[in-house]
Amino acid sequence: MTPLLEFENVSFSFGSRSVFDNLSFTIEHGERSALIGPNGVGKTTLLRLAAGVITSSSGAVSLAGRTVDTLRRGEAARLVAKVPQRFEVPFDFTVEQIVEQGRTPYLGLFAAFQRHDRRAVDRALELADVTSLRSRIFNELSGGERQRVKIALALAQEPRLLLLDEPTQSLDLGRKLELLALVRTLCHEGVTILAAMHDLQLIEGTFSSVMLLEPNQELRKGPPQDILRADILESAFNCPPRQPKLAGENRALLEKML
Amino acid sequence: METEIKEAISADSRADARRHGFSDRAFFLLTIAFLLVALAAVLVLSVGMGAVRIGVREVLVSLLNWHSSDSTNSVILFQIRLPRVLASALVGAALSVAGLLFQGLFRNPMADPYVIGTSGGAALGAGLGLFLLPRFSFLGFGGTASMAFFGALASMALVYWLARTGGRVPVITLLLAGFAVSTMLSYSTYFLVILDDNFGLRTRVLAAWLTGVIAVPRWTQLEVTSVMVGFGLACCFPLARRLNTLALGDDYARQVGVRVERTHLAIILTGSFITAAAVSLGGVISFVGLIVPHMARLLMGPDHVRLLPVTALAGAIFLILTDTLARTVLAPSEIPVGLLTAFIGGPFFLYLLRRTRREYAL
Repeated sequence: MTPLLEFENVSFSFGSRSVFDNLSFTIEHGERSALIGPNGVGKTTLLRLAAGVITSSSGAVSLAGRTVDTLRRGEAARLVAKVPQRFEVPFDFTVEQIVEQGRTPYLGLFAAFQRHDRRAVDRALELADVTSLRSRIFNELSGGERQRVKIALALAQEPRLLLLDEPTQSLDLGRKLELLALVRTLCHEGVTILAAMHDLQLIEGTFSSVMLLEPNQELRKGPPQDILRADILESAFNCPPRQPKLAGENRALLEKML
Repeated sequence: METEIKEAISADSRADARRHGFSDRAFFLLTIAFLLVALAAVLVLSVGMGAVRIGVREVLVSLLNWHSSDSTNSVILFQIRLPRVLASALVGAALSVAGLLFQGLFRNPMADPYVIGTSGGAALGAGLGLFLLPRFSFLGFGGTASMAFFGALASMALVYWLARTGGRVPVITLLLAGFAVSTMLSYSTYFLVILDDNFGLRTRVLAAWLTGVIAVPRWTQLEVTSVMVGFGLACCFPLARRLNTLALGDDYARQVGVRVERTHLAIILTGSFITAAAVSLGGVISFVGLIVPHMARLLMGPDHVRLLPVTALAGAIFLILTDTLARTVLAPSEIPVGLLTAFIGGPFFLYLLRRTRREYAL
């Protein structure tokens, strides 16, 4: 079966600075994959490439078997949705007005909102559990609520692949766990997920695979228990000289990283 | 059981929301209906006001029959007042909608129609027209108006070209380039003043024009401008929905398939075009394009699709009222309407700013 997302020898550079070279991996339907790696290694860039927002210098990014440059913008946006990390709204839009924007790929310039668009918005609000917030003003919501609204916005696109960029960033522990529960729910609903994650201790139990992106190294991909190992993480994240207590103990290192 | 309850609750809240959505829509339609009635009323009343008062009944009868007889009142009505009132309506609607477009584009409620330098180009163009082409006439437009129109468009093109880097036009660069070009161009009108050998008469005409004066236009001028403004407003309708998407950020808009650069260009072109059209009728009138979209937003919320008609109608009403004041308060002499918009608009804007007391996110 064709993978939902495929990177084939993808290289990307900002001007003269190369971000990655010959990156290859696949994401299968129904997968929940966490993308980890040190700051500045290009996790967001990878997600933007996958969303078709930017194009690679060489190599091919394919969605459901078609390379993104052969897909029209609107078509790509029906396959994949990206939840932005930073999201500033200048005016007092309500939650519902924001989530409605997720229907943009389905609407022409003049087409009015149809019943199925309305249904998709309702469903997105419901899945992300923000139905009760629909008439509230986005800028007045708490961080956890905003994060869920952003996810609802992406879900309104009815994507097959959902890209999350640091979804648990700056949330308290309770909201982080809520968010992970939402990720699992979405996966049961048939949405494939690729999420850039900083909270390594939150990965096991929610994500089915982990991709580790390191500077000047091959991408590693595997089940969480194979990648989230002290030796691998210490070198990848360039941790300071080890303290005796960390040696060999995954759990201890992960706790240290909390 | 639990899912049943959940479903019941969510169905309930959906119904609630639909009711809410309906009342939103009803409110919008009511507002539009109210504004239309208000526009008609303001139009009839202001046409009757002036040195010679014409009663409402007489105005209505003449307007409905639409014939100009040789009677003095009819001449006043059809040759002087009506063209001027209609010009104010057009200029007010055009500037307000241009302001709405630029506020949306820059995601900044402080933007106005002149934000990307059109006023500087218009000023220099007007100056050149006034001093160098005093006898020029095209479709009823004199040298000042025509050159202001082309000056505004030329400066917009220059600013856009200057701000363009690597196939993109970052909005902040656009804002800065617009500011610099506009300042340079408007100061260069002072060189023209040196050429003024007519006891400073032209300088004073130019100064008044730069403050904003709606003269009595010829009907051909009105026809040409209404076609331009009408075309511009029609272009705004598809752009309004895009402005909602762009409000969530360029990156987001790109992700949902919006061609961001092309949309920016369309917004800039449309906004500058209707601003230039307005400038050719009324000079550089400040504040209208800033405060009317604001008032509309306070009333309607930020959805640009609904804001567009509300802003256009409110802008027309606002400028008819201020221009009527401008020509009647100190009659027989006239105050430049731009002065009044600043004096009425300024304090009102500050009042709104104090009252809403909210911080704007950039």
